[in-house]
Amino acid sequence: MSPRVEAMRAVVAKDLIAVRRSKAVILPMLIVPALLLVVMPMGIGLAARAAHGPDVSSVLAKLPGNVADPITRLPQREQLIVLVNGYLLAPLFLIVPLMVASVLAADAFAGEKERRTLETVLHLPIRDRDLFLAKVLGAFLPALAVSWIGFVLFALVSNTIAWPVLHRIFVPTGLWLVVIFWVAPAVAALGMGVMVRVSARARTAQEANQLGGAVILPLIFLAVGQSTGLLLVTAPVAIGIGLAIWVVALWLTVRGAERFTRDAIAARM
Amino acid sequence: MSAPAISVRGLTRRFGTEVAVDDLTFDVEPGEVVALLGPNGAGKTTTVRMLNGVLRPDAGSCHVLGLDPAADGDAVRRRTGVLTENAGLDDRLTALENLVLYARIRGLDGDVAATRGAELLERFGMGPRASSLVQGFSTGQRRRVALARALLHEPEVLFLDEPTSGLDPEATRAVVELIASLAREHGRTVILCTHFLGEAGQLSDRMAVLQRGRLVAFGRPAELGEELWPGLAVDVELAGPADEAVLAWLRAVEGVVDVESQPSGAQVRVTGRDRVPAVVAALVAREVAVYAAVPRPPTLEDVYFGLTTEEGFGR
Repeated sequence: MSPRVEAMRAVVAKDLIAVRRSKAVILPMLIVPALLLVVMPMGIGLAARAAHGPDVSSVLAKLPGNVADPITRLPQREQLIVLVNGYLLAPLFLIVPLMVASVLAADAFAGEKERRTLETVLHLPIRDRDLFLAKVLGAFLPALAVSWIGFVLFALVSNTIAWPVLHRIFVPTGLWLVVIFWVAPAVAALGMGVMVRVSARARTAQEANQLGGAVILPLIFLAVGQSTGLLLVTAPVAIGIGLAIWVVALWLTVRGAERFTRDAIAARM
Repeated sequence: MSAPAISVRGLTRRFGTEVAVDDLTFDVEPGEVVALLGPNGAGKTTTVRMLNGVLRPDAGSCHVLGLDPAADGDAVRRRTGVLTENAGLDDRLTALENLVLYARIRGLDGDVAATRGAELLERFGMGPRASSLVQGFSTGQRRRVALARALLHEPEVLFLDEPTSGLDPEATRAVVELIASLAREHGRTVILCTHFLGEAGQLSDRMAVLQRGRLVAFGRPAELGEELWPGLAVDVELAGPADEAVLAWLRAVEGVVDVESQPSGAQVRVTGRDRVPAVVAALVAREVAVYAAVPRPPTLEDVYFGLTTEEGFGR
């Protein structure tokens, strides 16, 4: 392994060990995915297992035909599970990679400043660009790992809890697969692309989170749009959205790497 | 003569309209300890940051071990070790992890770093705390761990910012002895930023006095004292403060440059040590009781304050 790659790997390893021991960072990274990907599908599954499943016909009526029709044809007890766990939760799931990437990226430079460790890092023999990329990877890789592990748990919980009702495995759907393997990495890259740059300018991780918080707005729009039927996110649409997010995320990351210099960071210390 | 370990020419750095470092020029020889002295905001940290390629100069240049930090920052930083003003340890890591993980970023093998790190922590009295999280360490303990980290990769040049700040007297002595041995026995070049004049006097071969970013003086403390106050100060102990008549007699002695009354007698500045007997003789001839005449070369403190205070001779 080249010394440059080894140095980047060492920076990522250092950051990950430190993050693992920081409750303030690790707790939100675990609680939100646990609520969204374990507790929520479990609740939906349990509700559907009741003798008379909740009536979701009014919600289905708002959805476009090609999404609503296959669900409408299902028995009423199955409709809630398939609608929520198979369709509505998909865009909401994107909060997980975005949040994890954002929290870690905010910690990347602003957190180091706050802990007064940044100067030591700047005095290390690692190129400016490699340091930036190491910090980016230190946010991106855990975001991806948490998302994918979270999805495996979600699939296990959803299918297990719904088995007495559905008697089949219904997750992952095509939409879920696109979201997991294409859109989620893009969203993580976007979160980290925005937040690493904000983090380099902010004085504290909290300030970075506040400044970069707006990055979550498009996702909320997506989730609300999905649940109200305003925006139809089917698998092909998700592929298009993912592509657009990837373009923006990569542009932000490349521009960030080009403009990142020790000098600019040290001058602000 | 060998090439200087550090060579600085017209080094200048501004932050907005403020000039943090202004036209610095000096050389540091290999194996030399040079103290950068100056009040807060004098430009010491900015100078170190430029020497290690963290900040780029706006004008002028510097070379460390023959390399330009602005162009070859990585190569310079690979061969230097830095102890920053605050220890800069990650609270979430143990003392040994702080050493090993940073050493790995420097390209050291993890096992080698762990062995060396454990040895250094032991040497600095931190062996029993090697596996403890840094969170909760005292300032002195942090300083010792940070110093061990700065030395772990055996750097050729060391930039030490207040290395003994927060240390107890015993640890201070150990660190001072270590720095002295690093330079004298191991040939390391050391740039020592400090407020402690005693430490600078004990350790440094030469001192660079900075004020408002400018180099006010650079040289050996004795030479700088000689430049500021030519000749030699002699404390003459009398029965009480010297009166006008005694001061006049002293002024009349050949080789006396300046005379000042003191609570215990007078301080006489003479052109050289050979004029001391004549001063004593002149007083004895007038039946003035002389209890002692002690030559007092300027201390580092005299030189520093002489250079940096408004009343200083160097201004």
